[in-house]
Amino acid sequence: MLAVVVETKELLETAAASLVAGVGITVIFSIAIWGAARFVDLSRGERPVAAAGAALVGGLALAATLAAVAVGIVVMASG
Amino acid sequence: MSSDIILVIVVGTALAFDFTNGFHDTANVVATSISTRAASPQVAIAFAALLNFAGAFISISVAATVANDVVNAGAITPTVVFAGLIGAIAWNLITWYFGLPSSSSHALIGGVVGSAVVASGFDAVIADGVIGKVLIPAVIAPLLAFVVAGIGIGLVYRIVGRQRPGTVTRGFRYGQIVSGGLLALAHGTNDAQKTMGIITLALIANGTLAADADPPFWVIASAATAIALGTYSGGWRIIRTTGTRIIKMDAAQGYSAQGAGAAVILSSTHFGFPLSTTHVINGGVMGAGAGKRVSAVRWGVAGNIFVAWLLTLPAAAAIGGATYGVTRIFGTGALGPALVTVAALALVALAFARRSQQGAPVPAG
Repeated sequence: MLAVVVETKELLETAAASLVAGVGITVIFSIAIWGAARFVDLSRGERPVAAAGAALVGGLALAATLAAVAVGIVVMASG
Repeated sequence: MSSDIILVIVVGTALAFDFTNGFHDTANVVATSISTRAASPQVAIAFAALLNFAGAFISISVAATVANDVVNAGAITPTVVFAGLIGAIAWNLITWYFGLPSSSSHALIGGVVGSAVVASGFDAVIADGVIGKVLIPAVIAPLLAFVVAGIGIGLVYRIVGRQRPGTVTRGFRYGQIVSGGLLALAHGTNDAQKTMGIITLALIANGTLAADADPPFWVIASAATAIALGTYSGGWRIIRTTGTRIIKMDAAQGYSAQGAGAAVILSSTHFGFPLSTTHVINGGVMGAGAGKRVSAVRWGVAGNIFVAWLLTLPAAAAIGGATYGVTRIFGTGALGPALVTVAALALVALAFARRSQQGAPVPAG
């Protein structure tokens, strides 16, 4: 009876989307912050190549975060 | 003529509910940003109000659920909707008075179910819709936000735990501008739609709209405006409970809690589940606290909030049912709703006066 009432497929999809989006965006943004923090440290330590690498990783992660947010809003609005 | 007067009262009451919803739920959206000092209270609230307004225009899936899947439209009259709204507003104001972040959404659904049952019996309630689209998601959503925020904050500390705290804190404060904005957008789209759904239900009951009709544009625009104005007015008492009393948050925890809340609400909105944004963000806040250290969560405060959650549906249903009974004393015309409205306005003015005598708004923690 309960299985009929509960929209299992929609609930599972909601749970999966929430988990992927919530954890995913948090992790990607953390990598962006890691890149920024490493860039500051490595720049002070006069290691420009490593600092540039950290900045690149951070920049890419930040771009990925913003893209994920935009995709999330578009997907939700299509419902 | 009489039914048109009742309809006008219902629309006004629904918009008043929407205002109290924004007022009551401001805390859900801005408390974490304010408590971690990611934004000043004034800026955070104005930003949230703006995005609440925008969010209301994004989707109508939840409005369709509220209008079609909770109570049988055939058993509903504008007076039933009015009584349900009074039940929801009364419970919102009672929990605001005591500083408890209960669910405006469940108050609304509880109020309408209670008045419908008193009016037409239990057959008026669509049990499958209430269980499958309201009750089950109500249990799952905060748990999901708890898990997402808990996993998220655990991974955050692994990634940035050895970096300079200053850079990390600044970074997450910037991040909270985005995550807080996303949460405000999610709140606007899920919560404003409940008012759209309830006004649509009243319009269908009055014969103004066909059954299964979507909300007209004026309904969407007025609901968006009411929730945004309510949000801008702010609920400082609840902001303090959510922002500082459940856990003492750092910026990373605030970001994780808001990100988890936004993800759960936006995903659920996509499938038309009328969630409690209050439940979800508080689940996220507790998850972000427990993910760092289980004892960091003040479980006593969390317990009080949990009790308020449990009481919301039956309490709002009881007030909604009682209100319907009172209106029927005066017949089926507009007199009952008009008198109840006057009495409700007098009680609200009294509550605000008493509360303002007892102290100034609570400063952000």
